[in-house]
Amino acid sequence: MERVDRLERLTDLVLVLLREGRARSLREIADEVPGYPSAGEARRQAFERDKRTLRDEGIVVSTEPIDGSDQIGYRIKPEDFYLPDLGLTPEEQAALNLAVAAVHLGDPSGRDALWRLGSAPAPSPLTAADLPSLPALPVLFEALRAHATLTFSHRGLRRHVVPAVLRFRRGWWYLLGYDLDREAPRTFRVDRIEDRPKLGAPGSAVLPADFDLERPSSEAPWQIGDGDATDVEVLVDAVVVPRMLHEVGEGAVTEKRDDGSVVVRLEVSHTGALRSWLLEFGEHVEILSPPSAREEMIEWLAAVAAPGDWATG
Amino acid sequence: MARCGRGSGRLGHRMTRLDAGERLRRLLAVLAWLARRGRAPVSELSERFGISPEDLISDLELAACCGLPPYTPDQLMEIMVDEIEVVANLAPELARPRRLSSAEGFALAAAARAILSVPGSDTDGALSGALTKLDKALELDRLRVELDDPPHLEEVQQAVYAGRQVELEYHSSSRDEVSRRLVDPGSLVALDGHWYLDGWCHRAGGVRRFRVDRILSLQSTDVASCHSVAGDGGEGSETRLPAPFVPGPEATVVRLSVDEAGAWISDAVPTLEVSPWSDGRREVTLAIVSDVWFGRLLMRLGPHARVVDPPELAAAGAKEAKRVLARYEVDARH
Repeated sequence: MERVDRLERLTDLVLVLLREGRARSLREIADEVPGYPSAGEARRQAFERDKRTLRDEGIVVSTEPIDGSDQIGYRIKPEDFYLPDLGLTPEEQAALNLAVAAVHLGDPSGRDALWRLGSAPAPSPLTAADLPSLPALPVLFEALRAHATLTFSHRGLRRHVVPAVLRFRRGWWYLLGYDLDREAPRTFRVDRIEDRPKLGAPGSAVLPADFDLERPSSEAPWQIGDGDATDVEVLVDAVVVPRMLHEVGEGAVTEKRDDGSVVVRLEVSHTGALRSWLLEFGEHVEILSPPSAREEMIEWLAAVAAPGDWATG
Repeated sequence: MARCGRGSGRLGHRMTRLDAGERLRRLLAVLAWLARRGRAPVSELSERFGISPEDLISDLELAACCGLPPYTPDQLMEIMVDEIEVVANLAPELARPRRLSSAEGFALAAAARAILSVPGSDTDGALSGALTKLDKALELDRLRVELDDPPHLEEVQQAVYAGRQVELEYHSSSRDEVSRRLVDPGSLVALDGHWYLDGWCHRAGGVRRFRVDRILSLQSTDVASCHSVAGDGGEGSETRLPAPFVPGPEATVVRLSVDEAGAWISDAVPTLEVSPWSDGRREVTLAIVSDVWFGRLLMRLGPHARVVDPPELAAAGAKEAKRVLARYEVDARH
């Protein structure tokens, strides 16, 4: 057997399998592509190994029945290999190359995607964004594309979900979907999915007609909870106003004071979450009303300031 | 010019070790690029595809021997390569875009959306155009990526691209103080949901990272930046990942014991280690640079955490709580 670099054998194999016409038997392929062992089990093993490598590279080798003694034929279907032409203008391709160079997803998928489009990432730009890479993301993406239901384990519970929207916000990925067991919309943080999600049959997932795709998928922590919502007014010192408004929006402001401080009104159903979040601002924010919320905060602080009461932890 | 020397035995150039699948992926990418352009300098291809010139030439020489049976010259790929340039006349099919895997489709769609969510990023609309076509091909538009949009982001970005010094009024949360700083902007990075400006801080005399939503005001100047930020404008896009928050020498390592109700801490702040204890509690190890910040963390955790080590920080939460409490008490007297 002539020694042939495996890359050469693989390249020839791709070209031969892509060729128009009927599927070809293993014998025909191995005779045509240089580098396969001359016959027998070694030949089959080498071919199977190449098929696996191609599959790992996203190249699907299809099997079809053929006439003759070999019975099974192989080929790469053009529709499995090529993408319908995107028709990108050079400017659009350049913009996409720049976007991929600027956004880091923790793996080379973006680069590989551009390679498959016949392009490559641009040199590093001065602006860059890191999005967390999670193993479940491509699976969820595929489920959305295929309109397939999803089954996964999330915070210890099995969930059956019709996926609706995959969203990145404030540093986290969320899946918004319709929970089939609870018969209600639910939002799942993707990093809390504990296994590899399983897809149902393509086309099996149908969202209720009144499902709102744009419904906010990550409410503020103090709005999550079963308690009745109360309006809480908070005084915010000038020094942390930009940070606060960035979180709650200008719409929450009810009063602007001369010293640059503002009062914001928040709708709160989970007071513990509100407290935890407000304390990140230290002494620069203060609950003004209602008195009960203010008292609760003072009690918490007094207990932390004199920890003797829970000395045992 | 080297063309296929099938059977003559190629020179035994030692390839950088990559598995065959990865080499095939890259070779098909280089061929697609060449099929579109016809010719390209070796140096350009080498840089663009992250491959040494030697490996590139070796792979292309090998590709020149590939084709269809009976592998007569007219059936082989027409590639000529020397040390300087590659000239190729390839079948147009090789230039056709290839089907994307889920991960690849996702990566493109997410990257384009992330950039589009930054105001002023797509001035000519080319990226929106590309995304529309991509969504159509992938048959999916139910992906949303929103990067943070703090007040001064656009000005910071302009300063970065203009290479001009900026004067910042900045609220350092860890020290809880406002300072004015003259900064040579280096680059802008989005990490964990926040934007950061990396730049040379004249006051500190070194490279510092500023969280953009803590910039209280920003004054641009006409003065060109005089310090370049090290590690910027590096060779390949993969190498320029922003460094993670590695605790510096000034950091203190702290161990906390937290109960179930305090377990949120490992999601909320960067931890060095989390080890569960048998009684449902867990020990969380953190690196902290600021006592104020740590005190606030303890204050939020309340009864759900206690300091294991170092003992001198055990009262940091109480100290911070007294400060906040003082504010409430002062106001109560009015």
